[in-house]
Amino acid sequence: MQTLLNGAAAGGVYALVALGYTLVFSVLGVINFAQGALFSLGGYLTFLLMGGRISANGGLPGWGLPLALPFAPALLLAAMGAALASLLVERLAFAPLRQRNAEPLLSLITSLGAGLVLVNLLQLLMGAEGYAFPAGTLTGLPAAISLGGARIRSVQVLLLVICAAAVLLLTLWLERSRGGRALRAVAEDPTTARLLGIDSDAMVRLAFLLSGALAGLGGGLVGVSVSLPGPYFGIGYGLKGLAVLVLGGLGSVPGAIAGGLLMGLAEALVPADASGWRDALAFAILFAVLLLRPSGLLGRRLVEKV
Amino acid sequence: MERHAAERHAPVSRWGCTNVIDNGLLVQMLIGALLGVSVYLPLAAGQLSLATPAFYAVGGTLAALLSTRWAALGAGADGSFPLPSFLLELLLAGALAGLLALLVGRLVLRLQGIYLAIATIALVEIVRVAILNLPFTGGAIGIFAIPQPFATASGYLVPALALLALAGWGCQRLEGMPLGRAMAAIRDDELAARCMGIDTTATRLSAFVLSAVLAGSTGALAAHFLNTWNARQGSFDASITTLAFVILGGSRSWLGPVVGGLLLTALPELLRPVGDVRLVLFGLVILLGPVFFPRGLITPGLLERIGGRRQEAPR
Repeated sequence: MQTLLNGAAAGGVYALVALGYTLVFSVLGVINFAQGALFSLGGYLTFLLMGGRISANGGLPGWGLPLALPFAPALLLAAMGAALASLLVERLAFAPLRQRNAEPLLSLITSLGAGLVLVNLLQLLMGAEGYAFPAGTLTGLPAAISLGGARIRSVQVLLLVICAAAVLLLTLWLERSRGGRALRAVAEDPTTARLLGIDSDAMVRLAFLLSGALAGLGGGLVGVSVSLPGPYFGIGYGLKGLAVLVLGGLGSVPGAIAGGLLMGLAEALVPADASGWRDALAFAILFAVLLLRPSGLLGRRLVEKV
Repeated sequence: MERHAAERHAPVSRWGCTNVIDNGLLVQMLIGALLGVSVYLPLAAGQLSLATPAFYAVGGTLAALLSTRWAALGAGADGSFPLPSFLLELLLAGALAGLLALLVGRLVLRLQGIYLAIATIALVEIVRVAILNLPFTGGAIGIFAIPQPFATASGYLVPALALLALAGWGCQRLEGMPLGRAMAAIRDDELAARCMGIDTTATRLSAFVLSAVLAGSTGALAAHFLNTWNARQGSFDASITTLAFVILGGSRSWLGPVVGGLLLTALPELLRPVGDVRLVLFGLVILLGPVFFPRGLITPGLLERIGGRRQEAPR
């Protein structure tokens, strides 16, 4: 039971990251490698907003925000912060290339550059060491609850619920709202969307804003449920998210969700004595899926253009 | 960001590189250039492969294992290592990496574009985790006290330069050979190339294998040069950094990745005086470089102006 829940919780986080990639990929057809760095940023922002202090090895020793918010507003604000940073990434790493009609390949490099700047800024300011959220962070929540005879960590339940809520909201918004429809129209065909009066640049910015928020949310949640092992921790989640993205099919929202859960559960089922190999599992699955079904589990078939 | 830090060699002086030869920075730069050429080769056939760090790691691990475990190679108790054994290792590492590329390439080269790129990232990660967890590769610490064929860091300049010269000569020759022309044709339009009767699968595979051989040999050289070898040598970061060598240097000629590899490997070391900000600045260079030089530093037009020789019409 605990294993399955752990898997589902990790899978939920992977799905958040993969959805972030999916949003950007569907409107621009490129991958934003800064996603992992935004994930780290979300974790650190949550930590700071909840009153966490920087230890001595950072550029700001002992510094902390003069406030200590409860978890929920801190997480929301951190997600907003990551969303704004994501907008900045779009402005610096993607917009100049689009204006010049440069090769899409270049944005792989520029977005990774933006991610490097972000992660190293975090390292410079906060230090390379890990941070743990103080005990009693989640006031009013018991550390563990028992369910059907099994004790499970309640923070994992919380994580799963928040992930599910975020994913549900996003899907509903994409399906039902005007903005969501416009975003999907741009993803389908930017030129036609523009002819129909949709501001495609605004939609691109919106996609980055949302994907940044998802990454920030994921970072904050993982930070609270595990810890912040250093500024680079988001990069690993970013890579896993990439594997999930392809597993589910590039640009497919249900694919990203299903892929995330599948990956999380598969990792949770790795026996403890082989835990060192766990990190390779995601990529081994990815490898196998790519070879059997190059367009991913739920992706559209690729149409070869002639 | 992993830098191929040569901690063993004399630390870089306060002013960066007043003595680039003795502290081995020049060798590091040459290793960067070699890896750049390794990324360039598949790209010259239109394949975005980020697998170079995987083959580099495989080559380095093989060399580290052979020289520390296999007594017949003649590693001395004082940490010395016979030159012929070193050269043999370069060959073996290249061969193993090439063989691996042949096996993997058959599978992954069915993929196109970003799918291929992500599959090769997956390969890099699998190799990294394997080296981290296999019982004989030393885990997170890795393999250390790798014997030295040269007494000083600058000794490695000779094999590194020779390898780079060989790679450059090969690339130059390739442009005139059927394989090189087929690669260029696939890069411009794979479908058209197939219609012209080019065996695109074999051509893409050849480029992939050549790239792996070069990366494997470079890894073997780097393992001796760095003295220690662990799983961190080939990671996702390295995938993108080596791609940046090609993109910033210019992907239209093999000189581009050489220049890109030399400059971008030197940059974090040259920035050492500014302290911890250097990695932020390095990121900024990678972020802004493609914006200001979308075609890289070395473009066909530039080569024409410098060399005065006719290149094929730039696109």
